Amino acid sequence: MGAEILAILMFLVVCGVLLLGYPVAFTLGGTALAFAFVGDLAGVFDLRLLGGLPSRYFGVMVNEVLVAVPLFVFMGVVLERSGLAEQLLETMGLLFGRLRGGLAYSVTIVGMLLAAATGIVGATVVTMGLLSLPAMLKAGYDRGLACGTICASGTLGQIIPPSIVLVILGDILQGANTEAQLALGNFAPEPVSVVDLFAGAMIPGLVLVGLYLLYEALVAWLRPAAAPPLVEAGERVEHLGRRVLVAVLPAAILIVAVLGSILVGLATPTESAAIGGVGAMLLAAARRRLSLAMLREVMRETTKISSMVFVILLGASIFSLVFRGFGGDQMVRDLLHNLPGGEVGAIVSVMLLMFLLGFFIDFIEITFVVVPIVGPPLIMLGYDPIWLGVMIGINLQTSFLTPPFGFALFYLRGVAPPEVTTADIYRGIIPFVALQLVGLLLVGLFPQLATWLPQALFG
Amino acid sequence: MDRLERFVRLVDGLNERVGRAVSWLTLAMVLVTFFVAVMRYGFAWGQVWIQESYVWMHGLVFMLGAGYTLLHQGHVRVDILYRGASLRFRAWVDLVGSLLLALPMMVTVFVVSWPYVLESWLKLESSREAGGLPGLFLLKTALLLFALLVGLQALALAMRAWLALRGRPQLYQTHGQEAG
Repeated sequence: MGAEILAILMFLVVCGVLLLGYPVAFTLGGTALAFAFVGDLAGVFDLRLLGGLPSRYFGVMVNEVLVAVPLFVFMGVVLERSGLAEQLLETMGLLFGRLRGGLAYSVTIVGMLLAAATGIVGATVVTMGLLSLPAMLKAGYDRGLACGTICASGTLGQIIPPSIVLVILGDILQGANTEAQLALGNFAPEPVSVVDLFAGAMIPGLVLVGLYLLYEALVAWLRPAAAPPLVEAGERVEHLGRRVLVAVLPAAILIVAVLGSILVGLATPTESAAIGGVGAMLLAAARRRLSLAMLREVMRETTKISSMVFVILLGASIFSLVFRGFGGDQMVRDLLHNLPGGEVGAIVSVMLLMFLLGFFIDFIEITFVVVPIVGPPLIMLGYDPIWLGVMIGINLQTSFLTPPFGFALFYLRGVAPPEVTTADIYRGIIPFVALQLVGLLLVGLFPQLATWLPQALFG
Repeated sequence: MDRLERFVRLVDGLNERVGRAVSWLTLAMVLVTFFVAVMRYGFAWGQVWIQESYVWMHGLVFMLGAGYTLLHQGHVRVDILYRGASLRFRAWVDLVGSLLLALPMMVTVFVVSWPYVLESWLKLESSREAGGLPGLFLLKTALLLFALLVGLQALALAMRAWLALRGRPQLYQTHGQEAG
């Protein structure tokens, strides 16, 4: 019994220590180690379990699937510096600007295109915040609506493939699925791949885009003053069609090359990420943005982001190792299997837990710490791993939007003009967080939204 | 006191160099993986060793780049409190966090990895795949180097914070800003 109390206590203490602000990776690892020593003294933990760490760490180093993460990051950083986003926003603004709510639609559509081409939230929110927010404010948009639209659209990269979250989730769920199937006595389980998850997230991602557009249209219709059209002084735009084509074509080619090659099974996510990286460099070269200095910055940025992600995984593996050593996984399993409401109660409470954790920590920590613990019991209850992955993906995307600690909100705060208050941003994001919950509910009630496409593509 | 400062600058310089060097591997990974994909689908040509090479590079990048990332404040913090807090609060968090969280973790990783890496060196282990790369023991050594590089940088962070608490905040405040 003592061990289980330590497991619960460790979880609470980690949450508390995280709030102090020391880097997450070392907080997870260091706190868990302290508990391991206490547990060893109390005779409920065997320190020799830590001997399993090197082979786990080495397993992360040589995991082929995870190589897709730095490659997608590389591609995203190159695209960020190639000026693609700027050009897309400008032409989409010209295309829709004269409509009521048009600037909001153009931000959402550009967000969707960038999400399908890359998957880096920070860059997208910052770019749109720098370019679209001033334009929207000048046109007289409601500040909250403008901020909410930019933050939500900027995080679409988390759920619309190719997405780094989905790569990581796919890898973790594969492990969870194997574990669950073994426990159920199935020794040759169907593998869950990142590709399945990409295919599964496609339609739900588009559903979210649809929900955003619907909401923006509704606001424009009910409160015309909140989303006015641009009133350009009679300036006629020459060759609009051609300009749109020129702006959208490179993005479209990249999307087809990267996403298409994954979904038709031509290339693995890792390979297509490399194709995307080379494509992004060609695109940057065509815009005369490619230089040694630029590449050097891209390489250093990629090193830092990829190290940040994986060192959290290293810290989190110590946490899960100790948590398991205390019997915490068994405790969570018993708890989830005995909740009122059966399977539905289990999934609802896990989703609620992730949603709440999302207020304080972000997707990497939740994926690495929580999913390995709750994944196997949920799969054992009969939930489809791909559907589960998509549900978690939507939930984690929401964690970028929930105040006070939503990355997207910080990024926007960093670039928003001073007349936009933090309260404006919080107020504006609430309806979009509600839309995320609607999306989650839709995929929850109609699992086919997530499971149909992978089945249709891969049988 | 100046010995502390010299140590901090020495560690900064070390991780800066290592980080810049391994960052080239990210470009190499993109190009090699691209090459592998093209050769495989275009010409049905593939070699185990070249496929392993980009995976190994990936492992080296995040392990050896971890100290560099810490130097440049790249490891994510939950900064609800930290961001708006006073210099004193932040310095205390970094001092105590480095000494009680990061350093014990790195010491543990080093200690438990030692026998694992040593065993690999003693048999000069190669890749288990037929046609794979030799020198797997060198790749595994990255576990020790990771613990060493991050451990040193965490120590440097603790010293910066200590100096700041003793009224010399310069090193602490300029921390992470691009050096030269």
